[in-house]
Amino acid sequence: MLEFREVTRAYELGGERAGVFGVSLAVPKGCLAVLAGPSGSGKTTLLQLAGLLDQPDEGAVLLDGQEVSSLSERERCGLRLGRLGFVFQAFNLVPVLTALENAMLPLQLQGLPENEARRRAEAALERVGLSDRLHHRPGQLSGGQQQRAAIARALAPDPLLVLADEPTASLDHAHGGPLMDLMAELATERGATFLVASHDPAVIARADHVFRLADGRLIEEEHR
Amino acid sequence: MILPRLALRNLLRQRRRTALTLMVVVAGFLALSLAGGFMAQTFQGLADGAIRGGLGHLQVMAPGAMEGDEAQSLEKALPEGEALAARLRQDSAVAEVLPRIHFMGLLSSGPKSVAFLGTAVDPALEPKHMACLDSLKDGAKARGGAGSRWLSTDPAAREVILGTGLARSLGASVGSLLTLMSTTKDGALNAVDVEVVGLQDQGLKELNDRVLTVGLATAGQLLDAGPARSRLSVVLKHPGDTAAEQARLQTLLPETTVKPWFELASFYRQVKLLYYAIFGFMGLVLFLVVLLATANTLLMSVMERVREFGVLRAMGLRPGQLLALLQWEGAFLGLFGSALGLAATLLLRAGLNALHLQMPAPPGTSHGYELDIHLVPGVYLAVALGLQATLQVSALFPGLKAAKLRIVEALRHV
Repeated sequence: MLEFREVTRAYELGGERAGVFGVSLAVPKGCLAVLAGPSGSGKTTLLQLAGLLDQPDEGAVLLDGQEVSSLSERERCGLRLGRLGFVFQAFNLVPVLTALENAMLPLQLQGLPENEARRRAEAALERVGLSDRLHHRPGQLSGGQQQRAAIARALAPDPLLVLADEPTASLDHAHGGPLMDLMAELATERGATFLVASHDPAVIARADHVFRLADGRLIEEEHR
Repeated sequence: MILPRLALRNLLRQRRRTALTLMVVVAGFLALSLAGGFMAQTFQGLADGAIRGGLGHLQVMAPGAMEGDEAQSLEKALPEGEALAARLRQDSAVAEVLPRIHFMGLLSSGPKSVAFLGTAVDPALEPKHMACLDSLKDGAKARGGAGSRWLSTDPAAREVILGTGLARSLGASVGSLLTLMSTTKDGALNAVDVEVVGLQDQGLKELNDRVLTVGLATAGQLLDAGPARSRLSVVLKHPGDTAAEQARLQTLLPETTVKPWFELASFYRQVKLLYYAIFGFMGLVLFLVVLLATANTLLMSVMERVREFGVLRAMGLRPGQLLALLQWEGAFLGLFGSALGLAATLLLRAGLNALHLQMPAPPGTSHGYELDIHLVPGVYLAVALGLQATLQVSALFPGLKAAKLRIVEALRHV
């Protein structure tokens, strides 16, 4: 479903060379995969390349068999909007919109009629257990609820791939565990692939596939 | 419709900042629209002054009457002026035709003689259509002006109304007997004894020092004018049709020259140009202030939302859509600012007009006037459109900055 072929993306960070170097890996469809490793190991860089937010210096990124790393900005925007979902460490919901409006946002940007967008967003929020928080703004939700709303926003357009960067880092253990359970369930239930960057052992423990990185290189793969 | 909704919510997010920005837009709208209303009052006053001061809406004259000076009175007159006036009175668009003779000469009190510029008018028609009684009323307040009245309609009466300055230089007052001297249309010297029946104050000192008004019969005797008239002042039934009627009457009377009042009122045109220059510059400065203030606000708002823009871009929002989002924010600021500005303008206009403030006399005139800021929807619309365009331009730079953000850097922004 998602494949990196000899991907290199280098940049300067604090005067040192960082990024990922010659990484090749393949993530199958409908699973929960984790990019694991310490800070600076290249997890986020790989996630950004998979999310078409950045382009590799060398190598190729394939999404559902299509080489996507050399697409134009407009084409990448279209793919992100229709096929990808994002969940961020700091939730990053739009603060002026309610949970429902946040979940409707990608659907409305796709041009779906408001009623259809509302129906799908409500279903996504219901699935993540927020049906009683539809009209709350992010500031009125707890951290766990905000992250669930972010997952609903990512899932509402029915994406192929959901990319999550340290999704439990801002949550305590009581909320982080159930969130990962939810992601694992959704991956099975919807056939969507979840690619999560994390160094949290609790997250790694729930993954179907684990790709361990160090200093920008893939050092170990584990398939369960 | 998600972008306008998002833009509106963003503006409401920072209420205090949005309120301050709106105040800048409202202040700009208020200043420009009140200035526009004041200008409209001034132009209206000047236009009325020119039309009712004797020009009428149209002036019919002999070809070449505006070129060069007359060596003698009636040299460039309409030879059959009275017949032409009678013909024009039959026209359905014409309310009245006021024949006039312009002449010059010397006015003597015996020991002293002073050059004058005279106008002969129809004593019966003139007060019905022109502001001659207003200037007479003001003249009555001047020294020697007590008892001023308008010219008698009796053709045998030989009466004169003097400008206040002219009367003063001759030591004349109402009731004084003077002698008018001029040349006839054939070049012969002639004189007529006249009685001063009034003084007139036309608001301009230079005019008051030189002008006098007599009846057509008096000027006819002095100049041996016969049916000749210098000009015909045409009063139209519908003043708004002046330009169209000028063209029509010019075609109808090819042997004459027909001019609209606004081509002849040089003072009106000069003041209008001056006001356009002054208020145009002021407007430019105000638009610049609004531009800089709102651009600054929107830029601050962009800098505070870098990460949010990164998320939106990650979700698939195109750079152009981000630019459009900022344009919507500018559009709402302009729309609400203009709406509030209009309300403030109407309130302040009503308040200022209710105070009956007396304005000082404009340069070159001797009268002050009451402030009456006009209601000018056209100006309000122009100001609103100008401000809207300014807001869109001011949103352009922050919008471009937002659109150029690199997503990965924006997501890292703290």
